[in-house]
Amino acid sequence: MRAGLLGLVAATALVAAPALAAIDVVATTTDLAALVSVVGGSLVTVESIVPPGADPEAFEPRPGDLGRLRRADLVVRVGLGYDYWLDALVKQTGEKRLMRGGEANLDASAGIPLLEIRGQSVVNEGGHAHGVANPHYWLDPENAITITAGIAEALIRIAPGQREKIVANRAGFLAQLDARRARWSQTLAPFAGTRLIAYHNSWPYFARRFRLDVMAVIEPKAGVAPSPAHLARVIAAGRKAQARAVVHEPYEPEDASRFVAEKLAVPMVRLAVSVGSIENMGNYLALFDYNVATLAKALGARSP
Amino acid sequence: MSGMSDALALLALPFAASVVFVLMHAYLGVHVLRRRIVFADLALAQLSALGATVAFASGYPATSAAGFGYALLFTAIGAALLTLTRSLARHVSQEAFVGIVYVVATAATILVVDRAPQGAEHVKKILIGSILTVEPADVAKFAVLYAVIGFFHWLARRPLLALSDQASSAGRTRLAVWICDFAFYLSFAIVVTSSVTTAGVLLVFSLLIVPAVIGSIFSGKLSVVLLIAWSVGIVASAVGLAGSYALDLPTGAAMVTAQAGFLLLAGLAKVLLFVDSQRRRRNLRIAATSIAAAILVTLLASSVWLMTVPTGDQPLLAVVESATGIGPTQFLRPSERDAYQSATRDALRFQGEVDRLNAMEKAARYQGTPLSDDDIRRIASYQKTFNEMARGERFVQEVLRSKTQVRARWIVGVPGALIAIAGLLWFTRRHWNGHWWGRHRLPGTTQPPASGNSPSRRN
Repeated sequence: MRAGLLGLVAATALVAAPALAAIDVVATTTDLAALVSVVGGSLVTVESIVPPGADPEAFEPRPGDLGRLRRADLVVRVGLGYDYWLDALVKQTGEKRLMRGGEANLDASAGIPLLEIRGQSVVNEGGHAHGVANPHYWLDPENAITITAGIAEALIRIAPGQREKIVANRAGFLAQLDARRARWSQTLAPFAGTRLIAYHNSWPYFARRFRLDVMAVIEPKAGVAPSPAHLARVIAAGRKAQARAVVHEPYEPEDASRFVAEKLAVPMVRLAVSVGSIENMGNYLALFDYNVATLAKALGARSP
Repeated sequence: MSGMSDALALLALPFAASVVFVLMHAYLGVHVLRRRIVFADLALAQLSALGATVAFASGYPATSAAGFGYALLFTAIGAALLTLTRSLARHVSQEAFVGIVYVVATAATILVVDRAPQGAEHVKKILIGSILTVEPADVAKFAVLYAVIGFFHWLARRPLLALSDQASSAGRTRLAVWICDFAFYLSFAIVVTSSVTTAGVLLVFSLLIVPAVIGSIFSGKLSVVLLIAWSVGIVASAVGLAGSYALDLPTGAAMVTAQAGFLLLAGLAKVLLFVDSQRRRRNLRIAATSIAAAILVTLLASSVWLMTVPTGDQPLLAVVESATGIGPTQFLRPSERDAYQSATRDALRFQGEVDRLNAMEKAARYQGTPLSDDDIRRIASYQKTFNEMARGERFVQEVLRSKTQVRARWIVGVPGALIAIAGLLWFTRRHWNGHWWGRHRLPGTTQPPASGNSPSRRN
């Protein structure tokens, strides 16, 4: 499965530039891998460590990842504790350049306007990641501008001769993104201010961009089932505020989300947190195409 | 009150489900205890999870008929394996094989999930359970299924019980034993496979074993054991559910803890109430002495810890402080006390500022003018600053706290240790007396009841 997207990228790279040794990039998540592949185009081969559809916050690396990292010219990570396991993995390879602050280590969260800053400045408490700020920043399409800027800069540093090509690739992607962003905002505009309940707290950036109110989260701590009192509070609040859908992440158990949705008589909507968390979703733009269309359809079905 | 009725509406179905679970599981638990294979349910549940995951990896949704078929097939294989282990158990305990089946099934599941990550949902679900969100149709389904299986067990109760009870399968052909064993394990597997997706492995295990153990403590007669197991299991489930609501705890874990609490109570009742008066007095004395000794040993260890490493974490001191309301400020000078209190206040205030900014940002996502990226960055940098300041205040608190501990080092530590030692000596005085007596006794005098009087030496 994970070979699908990556194999495709690798194949195009090999066909397009057989003479050039491609830049070997390892990204922690499929989202970053997708963004690297649009910026690098035929110049890069990119792999993601977390397979599409897996939960990155509950992920266990394997020996093959070590080899992959050792060969990499660049490592791109989400940061903010989301992919905390990368540090231990990179340490295993012994490659200084890949470590935090090394020249081949790109933390994609640099420059992002962060939401929901927390009290702890220490990352990686108990394996769960929301230590510094909410890490799901790629779910705001506008943040892709900043993320791709960082990726372009890092790639140019590795292959200065390819500057023009990289800059052109990125400009092409941003033009596409611009056109789609306008369409996405238009599609969701009628639902501005709509109240939603989410299973996991993955949606603050998405909500901010599309003016949605994620008023409650069902799962208070990752991997811990909600208590009845919490569930009752969520349902009562949802009823009072007339929440209109329950948003659910595909890799989480469905029962609680379905239960809340049924109590409130609203649809449960499965939205993709990452590229590939829903079948046949190959790239970053498709992630939003899918999420925006699915959400609009679910909300539209009930609007008066 | 709407909160109360909400709670009742929310807890009624989970309670109904747990009653159904208790009735079936406690009965099977009696068998499992007699067969000495308490972990068999985990092994079978894990095999069914493996089946569901394999189904998913081959392209069938876990809820489809094919998904159920795979799960059933894998549990049937598990039942067959457990049946075989009876003959293997001559050399090694059957429990060892059960453990191996469990571990291998779990590992295989992880390997399959690695190929098909979406299947992980099912594995997570089995681990956590979701009895809180059980649906009426599910409860009905469980009731019908368990009624059928219960009826089958009632029909075949004689051979099944005989095989569970014994090691000898005397008077039966090997084939008959195998068929009976397989039928038992298969019915057991179907029950566990169905319940584990709703209740989770932890709760299923405790519903299976704990009520049956409680029943078995008091009686060897099946009907009595079952009656006790069922009533205690149902009451414990109700207590667990209510506790989970009142104390805001995850339901499955709260119910497991409640079951364990009842087991503890049952154990105490057994040694203190269900014995003749002489033994009861002795047991009471042992219980009291052990509790007192545990408290004194803790006090001694804490006092020594405080005297040796005064700046370290002092858990007992912290407990005493929070219980009595006598804060660490007791050992501070007035100026230090002010500093401590203002640090406490400020840390809270800074945390409040961070929360206030978060709430403001959250509201601006969907109402009023949206905040620009620069606004967001500014808010984030304020929040980081407030967080740093709050950390600073907490640091001040910690420094002052360790200062108080250094001052309390001898003032609290020495008396604490002395009290503990004196107490321990007092409790063991008869032991010492006994020795004294034993050595200096003249031949021919009556034996003092030394051994009966030194509870600290028993158990």
